[in-house]
Amino acid sequence: MSRNRIILFGYGKFGRSIADTLVESEAEVILVESEESRYQASLKGGFKRSLLIDVTDDSALETLPVDPKDQLVCVMDDDHLNVFLVLSLKALFPENRILALSDSIHATRKLKMAGASQVIDLYAVSANRIHNILNKPIATRFLEGFLDSKHEYSFREIVIPEGSFLHGHSLDEIDFRRYGVIFVGMIDVELGNSFIFVTTGLEHKLDSGDIIVCIGHDEDLDRFEEAIRHSEEVSE
Amino acid sequence: MIRALRERLESKILHWALRLNRSSRYRRLRERVTDLLENNQNPYKRLFDLFIIFLILSSVFILIFEVKHPVPVWLDYYDIYFVSFVFLVEYLLRLWISSDLTGDLVREYEESSTVGREFRVWPALARGLRKKLAYMVTPAAIVDLLAILPAYRPLRVLRIFVLFRFLKLLRYTRSINQFVEVLATKRFELLTLLGLLFFVTLTGAIAIYVLEDMHNPAIHNIFDAIYWSLVTITTVGYGDIAPVSEMGRVIAMIIILFGVAMISFATSVIVSAFSEKLTELKEERIVEEINRKEEFLIICGYGQMTKMFFRQSEAKRYDYIILDKDPQRVQEALHDGYDAIVDDASRHETLARFNIKGSRVTVLCMSHDDVENIYITLNAKSIDPRIRVIARAGTPEIVSKYERAGADHVLLPNQAAGTMMVTAILKPTMYKAIHAIFTGQNVALLDEVRVLEHSVLAGQSVGSIDFRVYKLILIGIQKSETKEFLFNPEDSVIVEIGDILLVMGHKANIAYFRENSCLDGRKCLR
Repeated sequence: MSRNRIILFGYGKFGRSIADTLVESEAEVILVESEESRYQASLKGGFKRSLLIDVTDDSALETLPVDPKDQLVCVMDDDHLNVFLVLSLKALFPENRILALSDSIHATRKLKMAGASQVIDLYAVSANRIHNILNKPIATRFLEGFLDSKHEYSFREIVIPEGSFLHGHSLDEIDFRRYGVIFVGMIDVELGNSFIFVTTGLEHKLDSGDIIVCIGHDEDLDRFEEAIRHSEEVSE
Repeated sequence: MIRALRERLESKILHWALRLNRSSRYRRLRERVTDLLENNQNPYKRLFDLFIIFLILSSVFILIFEVKHPVPVWLDYYDIYFVSFVFLVEYLLRLWISSDLTGDLVREYEESSTVGREFRVWPALARGLRKKLAYMVTPAAIVDLLAILPAYRPLRVLRIFVLFRFLKLLRYTRSINQFVEVLATKRFELLTLLGLLFFVTLTGAIAIYVLEDMHNPAIHNIFDAIYWSLVTITTVGYGDIAPVSEMGRVIAMIIILFGVAMISFATSVIVSAFSEKLTELKEERIVEEINRKEEFLIICGYGQMTKMFFRQSEAKRYDYIILDKDPQRVQEALHDGYDAIVDDASRHETLARFNIKGSRVTVLCMSHDDVENIYITLNAKSIDPRIRVIARAGTPEIVSKYERAGADHVLLPNQAAGTMMVTAILKPTMYKAIHAIFTGQNVALLDEVRVLEHSVLAGQSVGSIDFRVYKLILIGIQKSETKEFLFNPEDSVIVEIGDILLVMGHKANIAYFRENSCLDGRKCLR
């Protein structure tokens, strides 16, 4: 998918692990660094598509091979540089989705004002996690289960294939539990890819092409995806 | 004959001491009395204190009332017998728990029998009694004893000892104790001042006595001279005695100057003592306040993370205290409106100040210094393993160290933010969903429902509970016994008391589910 092309600015304390995880998930990553030593580190880390440019220089940024569908991720170690970079990128590539990481309370608002589509605030994430641990320890451990790279359980978006037995059934009629998966919601493509939870009282007749979202163990999800390819529900 | 009697007495005393020391009932009783009289956390102590304060106030009121009005006999009896009796009992109890006499005797006995030395009762008893005596001569004990005295009616002058009952109040009012404590820190300055005052007063008194005894009709003896000197030096100046000669006036002028200087000096000493102690006193109040809570957080470090923690709306529901070594940061926290004290959480005494036994305590190690966080973790766990520790770690490599130190949860801010970032990049829709669940927005709250007694759910199988009616999704169950988390449990799994159900759904539906699953409208789910 071309959607998975990511241009990652910064290979420092955050960039490194993010880059590694992205590569593990088979995304196409282009690294951009402005500092020589970190650039060398990225080359050593096995990134072939790594560029060394001065990110404060607009004419240098213009030369970047940016597609309108690429995601631009700003995780420079220096907060000021990060804000500056977001500002420049927004001006140069207004179409693109820009994500930024903020590691101070003050930077978050500035990044948003500079035009980042999404800002992840390091402290907000962690503080939130602490609140969750204090209030809902079990729920937190469970949710960490999918975020973890170990993948105990995962969230998966499943497109209902052409000719599946699910086609034409209403949600109530399907026994998801048989497959060991939990159906949590659907993605409404018409409403700008927004996620609708089943708990809102969703009533829907499934069509092929719909995207449903399930959670479960990876094997169970694989088995489920396999099962719904068939036109008849296989009884055990 | 006398010798035999003495030996019998000795063996009797030893026998009793041993017996009392071994009796668990005696020891328990002693512990309970100690707790009642001395442990501020004991709820009955408050009641007991209030009761004694009432007795004191009523007794003093009767004293004042009696001056002009006749009082009914029963009130007099109440004052003489009841109040005094209660005070006597209190005094004896305090004396009893002040030191462990039987324990001391038994310990000496055991020591000498292991060493093989002959045990002699009387010296040991004397040593034990000396400890009691040491308690009896403390000011508080003397006041207590004097407060009992007014019960002896024939001596009318003893009535004034009712005022000692008033002094007894000191024991029950903390602010005065603190005042004395503060003054005690300036003992050297105050004593010097007192010495000087004494010296100057006496000098002035002798001078005026020698110079004016002949021609001043108001000065009859040296006592009058001292009285005049003190009244003058403190700048009170009643004027009932005044110098008549020129020399006398010169002396008066000199000691007045001395007096003014000394009073201003004394004032400044006391004020500076208080301003030095003020923050400490405030901090003590904060600690005491938090110790009364059933459950609270000790947050170590006031940095960005802590600030963010408090910015989130959930923070309002916790009782907490912030500790930081750096006074500047504590100032900042106080300025931001949070309760904070300057203290080093890696020290044993710091954490031991908190009511670890009585409340559920969670320590949050929020500093960005791993060494400090691990030290605090170890410190907390060494005081009591029940303290829950949530620590922030810098790098993934160090997590195992935290776990070995006993941290219950280790948080990696960089990694958490990193995974969130990756999720946001790769699965933007999922990110929104997870974010919604994490931040607990209304539609898809992920909540824990604990099954308590009286719940209709207890004993049912998962398959027989219709979660769809409530528009909820059952995600999993944590079993109470094994603490094992069953994801997507099978229909045959039985729900038991103490289990925790993890459900997802609208906030209102979860609340409805909680209400509806109970017998007789009792609260059965949490």
